[in-house]
Amino acid sequence: MPFDWMKIPYALLTLFIVVNYGFLLNALIQKIGARAGRRYGIPIWQNYVDMIKNYGLRSSITHGAMFYLGPVFRLSGGVGLLLFVPTIYGSYMFSNLSFAGDLILALYFIFFGTLGMALGAGESGHPHAAIGVSRGLAQVSTAELPFALAVFAVALQYQTLSVTEIVAAQQGGILNWTLFTNPLAVAAAMLGFLGSMMRPPFDVVIAPQEIPIGPPTEYHSSYLALMQTNRAIFPIAKIVIYMNLFFGGASDWPTFFFKVFLIYLWSAFVGVVFPRFRVEQSIRWFLIWAVPLGILSIVLV
Amino acid sequence: MVNALYIVVVALAAAFLLGFVNPLRRGVAYAITLAALALMSWISAGWVWAFAFNHATTVDFLTGGAPPPFAINFRMGLPEATLTLLVSLTGLLSALYLKDVLFKLGHRAMAVLLVAVMALSGIILTRDLFNMFVFFELAIISTAGLMLLSDDARALAAGFKYLIISQMLSIFFLVGIIFAYHATGTLNIDGLAAASLGLKAGGAIAFFFLFIAVVAELKPFPANGWALDLYESAHPAFSAIFSAATSSAVIYAVDKLLLIGGAEWLPMATGIGIITFLAANLFALPQTNDRRLLGYSSIAQTGLILVVLGQRDILGDSVLFIAGGLLLSHAIAKAGLYWISGLIEGRELPDWAVLRSRPLLIFAFVTFIAMLSGLPPFPSFYAKWEMVHILAGEGRIALLALILIGLLIEAGYLFRWFGYIMKREGSAQAVNCSPFQYAPVLATALGAWALAYVWGELSSQYFSRDNLLLAIPLLFALVFLSLEWMSAWAKNTLAIAGLTLFFYLTYLEYDPLHMIFAIIFMIGGAVIFLASYHVHGRRIGFYPSAMLMFAGLVLLIRATDTFSFFAAWELLTVGSYFLILRGKHSEPHALSYIIFSLGGAFLILAGFALAAQGAPQFNIAALAELTQPLAPWVFLLLAIGFMTKTAAIGLHIWLPGAHGEAETDVSPMVSGILLKAGLFGLIVLLMTMGKQQLYGVELTYVMLWIGALSALLGNLMAIFQEDAKRLLAYSSIGQMGYALFGLALMNHLGWLMALLFVINHYIYKSMLFLSAGGVAKRTGTRDMYRMGGLITLMPLSFIATLIGIIAVSGVPPLSGFGGRWIFYNAILSSEYRLPMVVIFLAGPIAFLYLFRLIHTIFLGQLKDEHRKLKEAPFWIILPQMIYVALLLIVAVAPGIVLRRVDAYLNQIFPEGGLGWAGTEITSNYGYWNPVSIMIIVAVIFGTLFAWLLFVNRKAQKVKQFNIVFAAERPYRPETTHFAWNFFAPYRKALGFLVQPFATRFWEAVTNILHTAGDLSRRLYNGNGQSYAFHLIGFVVIAYLMRMGV
Repeated sequence: MPFDWMKIPYALLTLFIVVNYGFLLNALIQKIGARAGRRYGIPIWQNYVDMIKNYGLRSSITHGAMFYLGPVFRLSGGVGLLLFVPTIYGSYMFSNLSFAGDLILALYFIFFGTLGMALGAGESGHPHAAIGVSRGLAQVSTAELPFALAVFAVALQYQTLSVTEIVAAQQGGILNWTLFTNPLAVAAAMLGFLGSMMRPPFDVVIAPQEIPIGPPTEYHSSYLALMQTNRAIFPIAKIVIYMNLFFGGASDWPTFFFKVFLIYLWSAFVGVVFPRFRVEQSIRWFLIWAVPLGILSIVLV
Repeated sequence: MVNALYIVVVALAAAFLLGFVNPLRRGVAYAITLAALALMSWISAGWVWAFAFNHATTVDFLTGGAPPPFAINFRMGLPEATLTLLVSLTGLLSALYLKDVLFKLGHRAMAVLLVAVMALSGIILTRDLFNMFVFFELAIISTAGLMLLSDDARALAAGFKYLIISQMLSIFFLVGIIFAYHATGTLNIDGLAAASLGLKAGGAIAFFFLFIAVVAELKPFPANGWALDLYESAHPAFSAIFSAATSSAVIYAVDKLLLIGGAEWLPMATGIGIITFLAANLFALPQTNDRRLLGYSSIAQTGLILVVLGQRDILGDSVLFIAGGLLLSHAIAKAGLYWISGLIEGRELPDWAVLRSRPLLIFAFVTFIAMLSGLPPFPSFYAKWEMVHILAGEGRIALLALILIGLLIEAGYLFRWFGYIMKREGSAQAVNCSPFQYAPVLATALGAWALAYVWGELSSQYFSRDNLLLAIPLLFALVFLSLEWMSAWAKNTLAIAGLTLFFYLTYLEYDPLHMIFAIIFMIGGAVIFLASYHVHGRRIGFYPSAMLMFAGLVLLIRATDTFSFFAAWELLTVGSYFLILRGKHSEPHALSYIIFSLGGAFLILAGFALAAQGAPQFNIAALAELTQPLAPWVFLLLAIGFMTKTAAIGLHIWLPGAHGEAETDVSPMVSGILLKAGLFGLIVLLMTMGKQQLYGVELTYVMLWIGALSALLGNLMAIFQEDAKRLLAYSSIGQMGYALFGLALMNHLGWLMALLFVINHYIYKSMLFLSAGGVAKRTGTRDMYRMGGLITLMPLSFIATLIGIIAVSGVPPLSGFGGRWIFYNAILSSEYRLPMVVIFLAGPIAFLYLFRLIHTIFLGQLKDEHRKLKEAPFWIILPQMIYVALLLIVAVAPGIVLRRVDAYLNQIFPEGGLGWAGTEITSNYGYWNPVSIMIIVAVIFGTLFAWLLFVNRKAQKVKQFNIVFAAERPYRPETTHFAWNFFAPYRKALGFLVQPFATRFWEAVTNILHTAGDLSRRLYNGNGQSYAFHLIGFVVIAYLMRMGV
């Protein structure tokens, strides 16, 4: 797929849609979680309010160059991840910048933001930031494993690493979805999915409710705004990969919104039911429950 | 030529003459002694010269004017000439060494010395059994006399024990002679051989007595306690004679006897020899007394030579070459070591640390232990190669294995000793050295090198193998020995120039595969040498070692036959050992490195020998032609050998210490460059032999598992390290696991990935080691939790580390991603699934240790004591910046290197190559465009950065402790820097995987060996009666074994 300049405005359009959808969806899921806990929850436009507030804050400090660049890395990671994968199947307009690389590029690019963010947080010198990173890295190393195995199984199944071709192979009916042709891989991947959504039982990394812990501890104002933008983009970008690999992709925006919502809901659903794991518990949990499924899917494919 | 009888005559005449010299004029007596010994040496030397250059033939000298058997005849052939020269020279040099003692004791002692040398020469020369007995008696008596040279009171007791044993042996000898004469009517050795003594009535028993009497003089196990007491308490110069000259003479006597006994006695000689060799080496392990240790080693060496004599049925014409090589190496090394021991006050091994004040003596010591260990380019190396090949060719595998095990144990205690010398605290006493004692040592060391040359020439003449001492890279390395007086700066420049020049001269000769290694070894080496400019002074010992390693590496890629390959392998092993040993605390680690490496090398040697099946020349390419059932075994041996070097899991325990404790610029050399030698070996192996099956198990599949487990466990162990360099070292284990995995996939992309790993690992590991080393240099510690917040003080080191970890982790857009992408494509085309799971698990774990590395050093809280640190020295930074540039180039245009290799790999694996269209790279499964990725990432990043700058332009830099900390300001960075035990939860969850099983296993092996060695303390209790009992036991057992009762 050759490059052409029109791709840039198209990609920006995708980005625009996804950011807005992400803001709303994050709030919606938050709200659903709150209702499940018999609370009222935040207004649906809360994320926009937060953005305006964060950009409007006048106090602004920095702990050094890496600290300053941390959110930039983070958001670049999210945007890049989104744009390296085609959003809408069969649409030239929303194939984004996927000519640069295949599935492997997307998978490894996830770490770009994580790593840069962790470095930025590290330079703040706050121990809570480092603790959060330590927990996050430790947890993600096993949480990603079932997903990686599932991806491998899917690539083996379809004999390709190109996302577009994988989606293409699932067209023609719901029974052609990987969900049904390779249920073990999907099961493994969906368990792994829980680990990367920062919801219970795997949310000890940022422990959002109680103390200011986790990588964002020292970030505020426009830094936080950037990171919040990423929080809108990143889960969706990730879900797009899941959707493309396992759930037949989306050939128009309504399908896209629906599928993304359902996949996202899965993490919220589990999150409201189960209490939080400590890091070593989640590591064991992934190794015991999710990884064997992934191994089976590879062996049986 | 001078009549050989004059050797005896001169000694006798001189000894006689000494009696007339005024006892007070010791100078005259001493001069007579020296002159006599010099004359004897000269006579033998003349013969050696004649045999070597004038094609002289063996000559018999008759006494009493009648031919044998009516009179005694002496024979002078090449072996006799060499051995008598050895004996006389040992005598001469010992006499020089003993100047003070001889002056003190007077002319009688000198006469005894002369008689001893004469008797030993007589044993070598004579062809008459009774005459030999007489010379033996003379030797025994003079030996007992020489024992008195020692100041040690125990020497008297030891001498007495010696006499007891010798008299028993004399009786055996005499009885044997009587029976032999009775059976055949002659005592001439050739006559006895012709008369087939063994077949005559009573002949076998006669020969048994003769044989046992002479063999027992070789101190076979267990009848050798007396000899050990002797070695321990005697004057070292005497021990030198006893070890070098007496052993040689007796060995030759055994050889002559075996002529009489014939082939049926050979197994006996072999058996006694190998048991003695193994037992003595084992018992040497726990020794702490230097001279006793040397005694054990002497016994072991003579045992080994006895094995060689026992194998003469298959060794054929090579027996002189092999036995000679071993014997001369042993004699020279032992004489030299005993002489050195005389220069040192203390008797414990660590006391030898005083040698450090004398670099020349260190050189001599290294020469001697290299000779004993059979390292190139010494004669014992050639002999070892030849012997192992013949044994393997004839299928005597068990014996071969035992020999190699013994050699490994011996190398173990010798190099442990060397470690003590270089690293232990020396006692205050300086080395005692009059020129008379110094000169023989140095002369011997030089003689060793001369002999190395001679054996190389012999080897190239008779077996048409290269003379190692003529290899340019090795010579270049040796030149540095003579340049030690120059400044490090000058030597460094020379080293860099040498490496680049050699590359320039030879670069046209390499195919793309070899080219990768050639560039890394030579150009890569030169870049790392840039960092060495930061060291001032002369840096004695560094350059010869480093260049020896590089010489080995260069020779390795240029080798076409197994001999030069193996020689290069040993050279690089030894060179890197010396390099690693230079680290401040690396004594135990260097030792474990050399033991593992030599063990691996011996496996490689055995593999090559098995493959050659007795052929004198074996090209590496011919490995491809091996067939079942041999091929898988060869494959197995070679693969394990090479995997020792790449530190595959289980064989990895040497690596963390060796790489972690090495000096700042040595770590990148041994990690970035040396590890690639192992991969090179594996590539050569897999390229020639391909997939092999052993008992239905595919060996490359096993390697796949080993690679995957190495990757997982190496990474896992890395995350728990507190020491930055150890962390990197463990990471190397993991990285080598990946490369091994790629190779074992045995498909196009797997190999491409492995080769990309070779390049990438060189770049980023060298860079990270330099960076960590530079930081450690400034902070004075390698513990990461003691650092923190160094980013502002050492920004360049930080950038290098940052780029390095991004590249290692495989995050786009840097070059590591290319490796990952190829990796995924490679495993997709492989039929194996399960090992992938393990390697998948390993992948993300790399992030953990990489983040820890950069976070705990450069981010977080700056410590008070580090506030005034400066950036690492310029010369350490410079290569890092070169690497940063290289990584960026490889990231944007991996095609520069990959494309050619890809094309080259098409010859080996035609299927599954990559497509190269413009900047896009495609495989059968996916695609990847490094340039686009770089541009997209840069544009996104740049835009967002510009946006942040715009909205956040007024950001103020705040002070270190200005953080949200519950309204407190944490003024103690130590308690605020979250760094120690960074991944505690991980240890809780998966810590059980990193239990040091391998370490415990190898420790148990070592302990068992040491415990077995400790048995010697019970066996050799110093009691003369016990020793007599041992002798009788030995005789009885030998009799039962031989006579089959």
